[in-house]
Amino acid sequence: MNVEGHVYVNDNLRTLIYEEINAYKTNKSSTFLPAVVQIANVSTLPGIVKASIALPDVHAGYGFAIGNVAAFDMSNEKAVVSPGGVGFDINCGVRLLRTNLFYDDIKNKQEELAQLMFNHIPVGVGSQGVIICNQEYLDDALCSGMDWCVKEGYSWVEDKANCEDNGRSLYADSNCVSIRAKKRGITQMGTLGAGNHYAEIQIVDEIYDKKSAKLMGIEKKNQVCVMIHSGSRGLGHQIATDALIDMEKSMKKYKINVIDKQLACTPIHSKEGQNYLKAMGAACNFAWINRSSMTFLARQAFSKCFNQSPDDLDMHVIYDVSHNIAKIEDHIVNGKLKKLLVHRKGSTRAFPPFHPLIPLDYQYCGQPILIGGTMGTYSYVLTGTEKAMDVSIGSTCH
Amino acid sequence: MLATHFPSEDVLLVTASPVVKAVTNFKQISKILEEFDVEEQSSTMLEKRFPNIKVIESGVKQLKSEEHCIVTEDGNQHVYKKLCLCAGAKPKLICEGNPYVLGIRDTDSAQEFQKQLTKAKRIMIIGNGGIALELVYEIKGCEVIWAIKDKAIGNTFFDAGAAEFLTSKLIAEKPEAKIAQKRTRYTTEGRKKEARSKSKADNVGSALGPDWHEGLNLKGTKEFSHKIHLETMCEVKKIYLQDEFRILKKKSFTFPRDPKSVTTDTEMWPVYVELTNEKIYGCDFIVSATGVTPNVEPFLHGNSFDLGEDGGLKVDDHMHTSLPDVYAAGDICTASWQLSPVWQQMRLWTQARQMGWYAAKCMAAASLGDSIDMDFSFELFAHVTKFFNYKVVLLGKYNAQGLGSDHELMLRCTKGQEYVKVVMQNGRMMGAVLIGETDLEETFENLILNQMNLSSYGEDLLDPNIDIEDYFD
Repeated sequence: MNVEGHVYVNDNLRTLIYEEINAYKTNKSSTFLPAVVQIANVSTLPGIVKASIALPDVHAGYGFAIGNVAAFDMSNEKAVVSPGGVGFDINCGVRLLRTNLFYDDIKNKQEELAQLMFNHIPVGVGSQGVIICNQEYLDDALCSGMDWCVKEGYSWVEDKANCEDNGRSLYADSNCVSIRAKKRGITQMGTLGAGNHYAEIQIVDEIYDKKSAKLMGIEKKNQVCVMIHSGSRGLGHQIATDALIDMEKSMKKYKINVIDKQLACTPIHSKEGQNYLKAMGAACNFAWINRSSMTFLARQAFSKCFNQSPDDLDMHVIYDVSHNIAKIEDHIVNGKLKKLLVHRKGSTRAFPPFHPLIPLDYQYCGQPILIGGTMGTYSYVLTGTEKAMDVSIGSTCH
Repeated sequence: MLATHFPSEDVLLVTASPVVKAVTNFKQISKILEEFDVEEQSSTMLEKRFPNIKVIESGVKQLKSEEHCIVTEDGNQHVYKKLCLCAGAKPKLICEGNPYVLGIRDTDSAQEFQKQLTKAKRIMIIGNGGIALELVYEIKGCEVIWAIKDKAIGNTFFDAGAAEFLTSKLIAEKPEAKIAQKRTRYTTEGRKKEARSKSKADNVGSALGPDWHEGLNLKGTKEFSHKIHLETMCEVKKIYLQDEFRILKKKSFTFPRDPKSVTTDTEMWPVYVELTNEKIYGCDFIVSATGVTPNVEPFLHGNSFDLGEDGGLKVDDHMHTSLPDVYAAGDICTASWQLSPVWQQMRLWTQARQMGWYAAKCMAAASLGDSIDMDFSFELFAHVTKFFNYKVVLLGKYNAQGLGSDHELMLRCTKGQEYVKVVMQNGRMMGAVLIGETDLEETFENLILNQMNLSSYGEDLLDPNIDIEDYFD
């Protein structure tokens, strides 16, 4: 191990994790490694700094566990980038919209509103997007992210400010995306997908920090919000698959040996590494476009239901976070400021108050963090703290 | 689609029945009664939104492909630069012209069926396709005798294992809350049947869309929930009207209470069905759900189309038939291009819609001299439906179609809850059948399209202790 593994648990989780380790010790036959073993494996990767961090909701994933944060020193030429550390659903994330409606306003219109959402937002396997798209359009969109949405009229300008990275990855390059990935993207642009993805109409159940909530436009209990949980669909999956195959082949030439084949990686500054980062950037943009077009469609649905414009309904984006991404960020390592490539898989960035990268609106409370609960269960909105910067590379769970 | 791309060109929509459109403002008043406001008057709305679209409500009498023109029943001729045939398919009726044999194919015939059902105590359903599967479970308060020529139910969709899983639902008499399945709803404009032009009014109609039975109250005269008896490996030998049956002096059976005992029926029924397994049952009417046949007839005369083995118009990878400037989409065509390894044609509304969309793009591209790539929706077969109150998702080569013996199946099943079957070839996922709320459809869709090598996982892939959905997230 190059660094320690740090696993954040409470008493219940600690028991579960030890049980998992003991079970693994007696039976190593399953192809599915326990999450803790994966955390340890990641700590052996070249160039990793600080620690291989596991957030409380950690569980097994492909290569890296889901809920793992791993940062690599960009100034170390051996430091690697690994697609498994981002996940297949690149920039899977959560967006929260507010409204100025309350439960009493919608309680008699629930069925109607739900049907309108279904009418507007394409959902399910095999569903097709409503945004008419050809390859030229897609290339433009992949490079520009939410800037493309604003240009096309799907997003409000202010939506960008309340999105991580302003909804646009600057290292995106559509030339690094394969034709097959683009084909999958064209069909699925603006679709929700299936499985654990959702667009959910929610009401505020409890406010624990009134000041921070007010900064987000949440005033009272029973206020209606819309949460969208979705990612980059087949495009992201294909990019991840392509990169894994590419890197598996190239690892030898960089003399990299990994303890688990699924940790396929290459040096950050290698051709393969850079290709992946640029393609990943394009996938990030695609996911932001998807969440933005669903924002647009949700606004339309509400507008039709209540006969008011989305603007009058105050349907602003509170925030949009990503929980499957790799980003270049500045962090303090052993007292020195360093540029790190931070892989967050199944974990969310959690920057503190006054951090330069968070929107003006949230400078006082810190970056909003959206923890989406499974459909039908509670979701939570948190704010980032200095402690996260110290101990978990500015990250928390998802 | 075409209207958007060519705002200055005329687009003619020739339809023998009222235009289909999506229903909005759907409200459910109670479990049975539903009310919906149809906000949009579709043909006029279409014309208003796209001034270059004109809707002509008339059947087609003849296609003169060399002259690039169609002759409609109202006596007019229309010349075209490009033509797309979307006439769909018509149900194969086991017996034409018998008033007691109903085919269900469009909203009119579905409503007719509902009307007949309210007076019925027992009906027979012949056939094993999607309509039969959907219907059998939906009917309440009426005895159903279901006759299929196969060994197991739903064999176009399922293998014996999945059929077995579903059959247990049929036997249970408990009424269940329906699972929610929200989608865009389709219906036709609310015009009275009498107002429509007459000549072929009985033979034409727009195809049933998804969830076609949702708006219907399929209830017979009796008070119980389900009562279904299945007769396998048989077909209809003969159908007798009541008078004919009386003369025969043969005996018919009552609704079987258990598989062993059969008793003679003393009640008289309007119609009797003799099956090839020698059994005779009386009933109020018969539903023929024995598949469809492509509706190519009106267009064949004087035109030399290449036809597929199933009778449909052969189309290439640009939905182009063998005749210049004539395209075809939906049930009327037979996909004759080099098919993707995980796609097959099935006459389903999902494919019809995808084909129509793609055909329009091809026609547009051809007019502009542009090239166009095959639409990605033909890359992976995907169909979501509901059978027996279970959500059913079919992906890729879900029944290992065309894979020969070179494949493996993996199965995970919890009776009454979920059924997961995966088809693997060389360590790669080629297809899947998912019954129940498995939440696995997106993961498997991606695994099939990624064509990732999963051989290292072996059987562990379906280990219920592993959250496979999250693992590949």
